[in-house]
Amino acid sequence: MSASTIIFYIVSALVLVFGAMSVFTRKIFRAAIYLLFSLIGIAGIYILMNMDFIAALQVLIYVGGIIVLIIFSIFLTHQAGDKLPKPLFKRIVAGASMAAFGLIVVLGVFYKTAFKVTTEAGIDHSARSIGRQMLDYHHHGYVYPFEIVSFLLLAALVGCIVIAVKIQKK
Amino acid sequence: MGSVSILLLMFCGFAFAALAIGLGNKLSLKRYNPEKGEAYECGMETQGTTWVQFHVGYYLFALVFLLFDVEIAFLYPWAVVFKEIGMVAFIEIVFFVLVLFLGLLYAHKKKALSWM
Repeated sequence: MSASTIIFYIVSALVLVFGAMSVFTRKIFRAAIYLLFSLIGIAGIYILMNMDFIAALQVLIYVGGIIVLIIFSIFLTHQAGDKLPKPLFKRIVAGASMAAFGLIVVLGVFYKTAFKVTTEAGIDHSARSIGRQMLDYHHHGYVYPFEIVSFLLLAALVGCIVIAVKIQKK
Repeated sequence: MGSVSILLLMFCGFAFAALAIGLGNKLSLKRYNPEKGEAYECGMETQGTTWVQFHVGYYLFALVFLLFDVEIAFLYPWAVVFKEIGMVAFIEIVFFVLVLFLGLLYAHKKKALSWM
């Protein structure tokens, strides 16, 4: 077993353990913190696959953005520090069966796909290559989607302000 | 070789943290004093719990922050190649940021960013 395989198993064990802890803890704030560690572990897996840029985005957006949003929403509730009530048995069964169903579907796809081993070089996924394609205005460039993204973000910004201001006025 | 050194660094990092906390816990004197349990050593005494309910208006700050966080994600690959592309890249990013600046102006006008 090579060293990178050992690192992979350690990091994925961290992701899985923290993911399970985030599901099973009954303190909601701790669940958010465990989810944060789990997402950092996923960034570690991206780095293991040499996807530095994706790993940076994972930390920037998921760890730095989404988790902050989740923690904010937890603090909007009355009972951020309280222990949640024990889940109903019915819900445990329903959740477990849904999770099992998801696992079966994923494993089914995984075993049915004939993965081909190839010696071709993969696509260049460095930040430099992404930046070049993003700003390229020639035939195969992505400058148009790049500018459209700014409008998408603007629409999201305006939308969330409209909704939130409406809620505040109530 | 690279992975071996990362693995070694990982183990050293864990061991260092565990040693520092474990030895500190073992070797230190433990004399209980209620003064030590306070959050601050000077200034006002704290009141109530830290688990207060936030005003709903602060959620907007988080949402606006997330939007501009995503914007930063696009600025990063742009910054890497800015020097080699030059003026065109500059015009493209000015347009990109200008559109988002309109959003910031809108948020300011709707008083979404004013202090509660």
